[in-house]
Amino acid sequence: MKKLDILAAVAVGLLALSASHGPTTAKDKVKVGFIGSLTGGTSANGLGGRNSADLAVRLRNADSKAKYEYEMVALDDECKPNIGVQVATKLAADREIIAAATHYCSAVAIATVDTYHKFRLPVVVWGAVLPDITYRNKYPEVHRVNGTMINQNELNASLLTKLGYKRFAVIHDTTDYGKGHFKYFGEALSKAGGTILGSFGVTSDQQDFTAELTQIKSLNPEVIYFGGLTPIGVRIRAQMDRLGLNNIVLDGTSGIKSDAYIQGLGKLAEGSLSFLEGAPAERLPGGKFFLEKYNAQNYPNPPEAYGAFAFAAMNLILDAIEAHGPDRKKVQEALNKTSKANSIVGEITFDDHGQNTVPIITAYVVQDGQWVVWEDSEYAQGKRKLPGQK
Amino acid sequence: MTGKSKTSVASILPGAVTLVLATVYLIVLLRVENQATILALLGVGIAAVVMANWLGWFASVGQSFGEREGPLGLLAVGLAVVVAGYFHGDHFVLLLLCTVLLYTLATLGLNLQFGFAGVLNFAGASFFGIGAYTAAVLNEHTSIPHLFVLLIGGGMAALIGSLLLLPVLRTRGHYAAVVTIAFALLFKTFLEVNDLLGGPQGLQVKSMVLFGWSFNNNIEIGSLELSFYFAYFIASVLLLVGAFILVRRLERSWIGLNLDALRLDETAAQCFGLNIVRWKVTAFLLGNFLIGVAGTLQGFVTGFVQPNSYTFADSLIFVSILLLGGIGNPWGVAVATIIVVIVPEKLQVIQEYRFLLFSSLVIMVLLFRPDGLLPRSVRNYFPGWRP
Repeated sequence: MKKLDILAAVAVGLLALSASHGPTTAKDKVKVGFIGSLTGGTSANGLGGRNSADLAVRLRNADSKAKYEYEMVALDDECKPNIGVQVATKLAADREIIAAATHYCSAVAIATVDTYHKFRLPVVVWGAVLPDITYRNKYPEVHRVNGTMINQNELNASLLTKLGYKRFAVIHDTTDYGKGHFKYFGEALSKAGGTILGSFGVTSDQQDFTAELTQIKSLNPEVIYFGGLTPIGVRIRAQMDRLGLNNIVLDGTSGIKSDAYIQGLGKLAEGSLSFLEGAPAERLPGGKFFLEKYNAQNYPNPPEAYGAFAFAAMNLILDAIEAHGPDRKKVQEALNKTSKANSIVGEITFDDHGQNTVPIITAYVVQDGQWVVWEDSEYAQGKRKLPGQK
Repeated sequence: MTGKSKTSVASILPGAVTLVLATVYLIVLLRVENQATILALLGVGIAAVVMANWLGWFASVGQSFGEREGPLGLLAVGLAVVVAGYFHGDHFVLLLLCTVLLYTLATLGLNLQFGFAGVLNFAGASFFGIGAYTAAVLNEHTSIPHLFVLLIGGGMAALIGSLLLLPVLRTRGHYAAVVTIAFALLFKTFLEVNDLLGGPQGLQVKSMVLFGWSFNNNIEIGSLELSFYFAYFIASVLLLVGAFILVRRLERSWIGLNLDALRLDETAAQCFGLNIVRWKVTAFLLGNFLIGVAGTLQGFVTGFVQPNSYTFADSLIFVSILLLGGIGNPWGVAVATIIVVIVPEKLQVIQEYRFLLFSSLVIMVLLFRPDGLLPRSVRNYFPGWRP
């Protein structure tokens, strides 16, 4: 029975721990939500987004003019649609949550829009780029601050054809993200005057790409266009090196624009391209402010590519709540009417589908272990040349 | 007569008390949202189980279940309804409970294959997905009554599963596992490139309608408003009870004996005149049917089907439920599903570290109970009979 006593003591101790709560404040508490991929292969972006949205909430709470005190509920969708629907239901069914910034993964975002519509929860998508998320249905609850893959690929195709590249091979993952990119890149490229020699769909957890890359080698392209996310991007670039394909440009999409890509590849990352909506945080109107504040909070992970969007999305939500009170319907109407709203990612205007119509897209290239804006890079200035560039 | 009823009350007590305590614990766990409380509660739960094990209470609980399974099963169903009734307006909790029930149902199918006949199946989620896609397609393009859609969903899973029969019958052990793994990968890729089935974006599944009543509307009885998931919950309970009885009866019957013989020693079973092919096929198809039925209802519940929800990793979740619960024991499956579905969800509060904690928990369980939480016991044909 001595054992029982010890166990009882431990249990009491744990209960006492759980009973301690933070101090209360005079302001009304309002809850907002955040969903992203906090675990798994794309967790770097999810955590960056989570921290950035958290930053928006903390800054607002520190602002003495704010009418409410905000609490952010962050949930993990694991980048899996079935889990996404589950956590979306959890957020949306909780009437205390007024609005949410949701999803980095397109596959999850497209699966959950019906849930938000059903439960009438206004959301602002902060990272997923599949056009259908806003355009397949006309749900007044769904908004998106970032641009779509259509805009990304138009710039991608025009930049590369201008540099003199004509022959492309495509590797894309077979998710919505990869297939969508392939489709819109193909359309943009045929307008810009390039040709696709061959395309290869791969699953998003494939480890070995020797078969695809060997075939690509025999097609002799100048560029490998890669539509997919960082984990397989790293593998493909590393295996290109092993097969001696270093005279080919790796032309990526927004999916590889993460610090993890460079960390995974080291020197091999040099010269890889990526395209992303908005402009780098440093160049945005409020970018310097954002990075300063972000670094001041000492988050363990960087904001990554979409952090600024998560920050802007959360700020839009907080602004709407400040102006119209914590009421889902009113917040949704306010978000629908968003026009020329100032944010750190530039002016935001939603069209009738809730899509931000001011898509700034920026091209990036890896130079000396960093993603550098194309126009600022030594590649654009002619000091360095991309593989095979004339 | 009085003596007999006295012993039966005594023998039912440990099981009933355990069930009630577990239910109360589950309600509290589902209710709390505070990070420290959840972690403390999980700690208390683990401590309680370890302690009960230490004091040898589980033996009497096991005995109680062995002798009075019928009434205890009824009690379990009643308590499940109590939990759902407690959360009647809470959409999310009911969705979670539906997921638990349907995963249990699917794993019962796997149990039939894996636990009884020893036929490995690492494509559980694919057959689950076949059911869900059947729901989506039939619902969109036909007006077949949805009760039949459930059966057709199961039938489709069994039918498509029969494609695998030849390779599964010709291979054994690890090789059969590889065949099913290959099928799981093939299935997902097939869905992704098939634009008729929605491609990677998947399909929407419309509401389930039974006898002119749409499941996706909230239910109002007087002033009491029930979540629309409540209807799905009831449907899941009914399906699960049916499957549970089926699996239990099968196990008890000579079919179950044949399957056991097959698993333990194929050659010996054949020497005794058992038709190996016939029983392997029976177990494989019936198991897939159950998984397919579960998947069909799951398709209706989530309202959306997508290839990414039915990957090899999801199949592994089914297998891990079976291993965690104890291969061959349907009760173990139910307990393990609750752990696998609800614990990671409650651990959302610790965000990026949740799978670290959850996985260590599973490893610890298997370290101390290598046969799973509730290992299968020897068949008991005569309640109360002790050798």
